[in-house]
Amino acid sequence: MVSKQLTLTNAQGFHMRPASVFSTAMGKYSCDVTIKFNGSDYNAKSLLNIIAACIKCGSEIEVVCSGSDENEALAEAIQLIESGLGE
Amino acid sequence: MLNGIPASDGIGIGNVLIIEEHSLEYTPKTVENPDAESQRFRNAVDEFCKNTLEQANNLRKSTGDKEAEILEGHIAIIKDPYLCGEIEKQISDGQCAESALEYMCDMFISMFSAADDELTKQRAADVRDIKTGVLSILLGVQEVNINLAPSDTVLVAKELTPSMTAGINKDNIVGIITETGGKTSHSAILARALEIPAVLSVENAVSLLSAGQQVVVDGMEGIVINSPDEAQLESYEQKRSAFLTERRELENYRGRKTVSASGEEYELFCNIGKPDDAIKAVESDGEGVGLFRTEFLFMDRNSIPTEDEQFEAYKKAALILKKPLIIRTLDIGGDKDLPYLGLAKEENPFMGFRAIRYCLKNRDLFKTQLRAILRASAFGDVKIMLPLITTVDELREGKALVEEIKSELREKEIKFNENIQVGVMVETSSAAVIADLLAKEADFFSIGTNDLTGYTMACDRGNSDVSYLYSALQPSVLRLIKHIIECGIKNGISVGMCGEAAANQMMIPLLISFGLTEFSVSVPSVLKVRKTISLWTKQEADKVAEKVMLMSSEKEIFDYLKTVI
Repeated sequence: MVSKQLTLTNAQGFHMRPASVFSTAMGKYSCDVTIKFNGSDYNAKSLLNIIAACIKCGSEIEVVCSGSDENEALAEAIQLIESGLGE
Repeated sequence: MLNGIPASDGIGIGNVLIIEEHSLEYTPKTVENPDAESQRFRNAVDEFCKNTLEQANNLRKSTGDKEAEILEGHIAIIKDPYLCGEIEKQISDGQCAESALEYMCDMFISMFSAADDELTKQRAADVRDIKTGVLSILLGVQEVNINLAPSDTVLVAKELTPSMTAGINKDNIVGIITETGGKTSHSAILARALEIPAVLSVENAVSLLSAGQQVVVDGMEGIVINSPDEAQLESYEQKRSAFLTERRELENYRGRKTVSASGEEYELFCNIGKPDDAIKAVESDGEGVGLFRTEFLFMDRNSIPTEDEQFEAYKKAALILKKPLIIRTLDIGGDKDLPYLGLAKEENPFMGFRAIRYCLKNRDLFKTQLRAILRASAFGDVKIMLPLITTVDELREGKALVEEIKSELREKEIKFNENIQVGVMVETSSAAVIADLLAKEADFFSIGTNDLTGYTMACDRGNSDVSYLYSALQPSVLRLIKHIIECGIKNGISVGMCGEAAANQMMIPLLISFGLTEFSVSVPSVLKVRKTISLWTKQEADKVAEKVMLMSSEKEIFDYLKTVI
C-alpha cells in the first residue's frame, strides 16, 4: 500500500469535470484507489463517490493505492491533482 | 392570467403542449435468471448512452458546448463503475434491474440533495434525470419527442430536464412554461440561449392549462395569458413584433466594443446582486461588473455569513466573469434592514446609521467581508467599492482596514491581489462636493445617481407628493455629476456610473461630454446602451451638454433632450 497527502488546488474543487477526469484515470488501474477526506474513505474510481465527498479547493486529501500497480496509480494521481485536474 | 418568474425575454403566442411525466411504476420482483437481468440492465445503459450522446451532439449544434457537457456528464455518471457494480451486485442477489437502479440512484439523490454545496445539490437533478431515462428504457416507455412538436407550440411541464430540453427546437417551440425553476435554472439559461420566451415557477401550470389551448407567454413580465381574447392577442402581437425588431437591431451590437461615433472607447459593465447573475452579465455581453451588491448574501438568513461563505460567493462571480468585478461592501441600514443585526429603529434612516458608517463601527463584520473580498481577488480582477462615503476620513479608515487585512493575509501566506483598487461610490452630496479631495486618495469613483439625486434634491422618490423633484436631470444633480467626473479626470482616476441614469438615453450624451469612462447598467440594458453610445460623437455630445448646462430648469432640460435623442 502506498499513499500521499495532497492539497486540491483547482478552483472548482472535485466537481463534475475534475472528478470525471480523475475517476476515469484511476479506473485504468487494477489496484484499489481510495481518497481519505474528513475522516471518510471514498472510492476514487467512482465519479459519484468523489462528488458525494464535496471536496473543495484548498482541501487536504490523502490518496491511498493498494494492489499490484499501486505505484503507477499513485504517480498518476499525484500528477493529475498537482496539475489542477485538467481545469 | 397566471404569474411566474420572467426567465427569458420575449412574447410567445402558441398552443399548449403538456409534457407529462410518465408513470414509471412497476412491481418489484425477484428474478430467476440474474445473468439475463444483468444483460437487460447493460443493454438499457447502452441505449441510454447512445440516445444521450445523440442529444448532446444536437444540443452542441443548437446552443453550444456548455449545455452539451451537462448531458455528456450523464454518460459519465451512468458508467460509474461503483454505481454499475452495486446495481449488478443487487441484481445477482435476485433483484430486478428497475429496483436495483432505483435504489442506487435514490441513494445518491438523497446524498447530493443533503449537501450544503450548491454545485453538489445540482448533481441530484442529474442523477434523477438519469434514473428516469434508464427506467423509461427498462419499462419500454416512450419519451415524448419534443423535436416532433408542431409549429407554434408552447411547452408546459413541471420541470424541464436536460434531456427534454435537448429536443427543443426554435422553429416549433415559441414559449416555455414550467412549475419550477428560476432565472438561473438550467431551463432558463437554455431558453435564453435559444431566445425562447419563458415563464418559470408558474404554480400548477400543468393542471391549469389544457393541451391545445392558445396561450400568450410574456417572458418580460412573467405572465401567462390563457385563452386570450381578440384585443389581447392583437396587443401582444404588436408587442411581440416590436420586441423582435428591437432585439434584431440590438443583436448587431453584441460582441462589439463600446465606442462612440467619434471613436472614444468606453467600458460597459453590469450591476448584479448575486454570484449567479455574473452568468447573465456574460450572456448579455457586459464587459465586467461595475456594481456587485453584496446585501443578498446577508439576507434571508439568521446570522452573518462566514468569511468562507462570502469568499466562495465572490470567487464564484470572479471565476464566471473573468472580467473586472467591483464589489460594493455591505450597504445595510436605510431601507435595508437585517433583523439579526438588531439595528435600532431610526427616525430618519436614510440620514442615519447605514453602509460605511455601520461597517466602520462594526469592524468584525466589516473585516470579515474585506478579508473574503481580498481572498477572492486572487481569482480575478476584483476591486473594492465603499458606499455612502461623506468624508475623506471614512475613505482613509476603510483603506487602513484593507491594508491591515492585507498584512494579515501576507503573514498567513494567503494569496490576494497586492494592488487591489479601493474606490468610492459617490452618492452623497458631500462626497460630490469634495470629489476633488476624495479623488486624491481613491483609486476610482463610481457615481451612484439614485441616492445622489435623492440626497441632493432632499426628496424621497417613493413619496408621490415630492417625487416630481426626483430626477438626475435636475441642474443641481447635473452640476454635481460634472464636478465629480472633472475631479476624477484631473487626478487621473477612472470615473464610472452605476446608478440608473447611466442607462438613460437622455443622460448618455451628457456623460460622454463630461468624460465618464465606465457605464454600469442593468443586465437587460447592455446592448441598448452600447447602441446609444455609438450614436454620439464627442463633439455633438459637447454641444448638447453646453446648452443643457445653461438651462435653469429640469423641465427645460428634459424637453430639450427629448428633441435630440
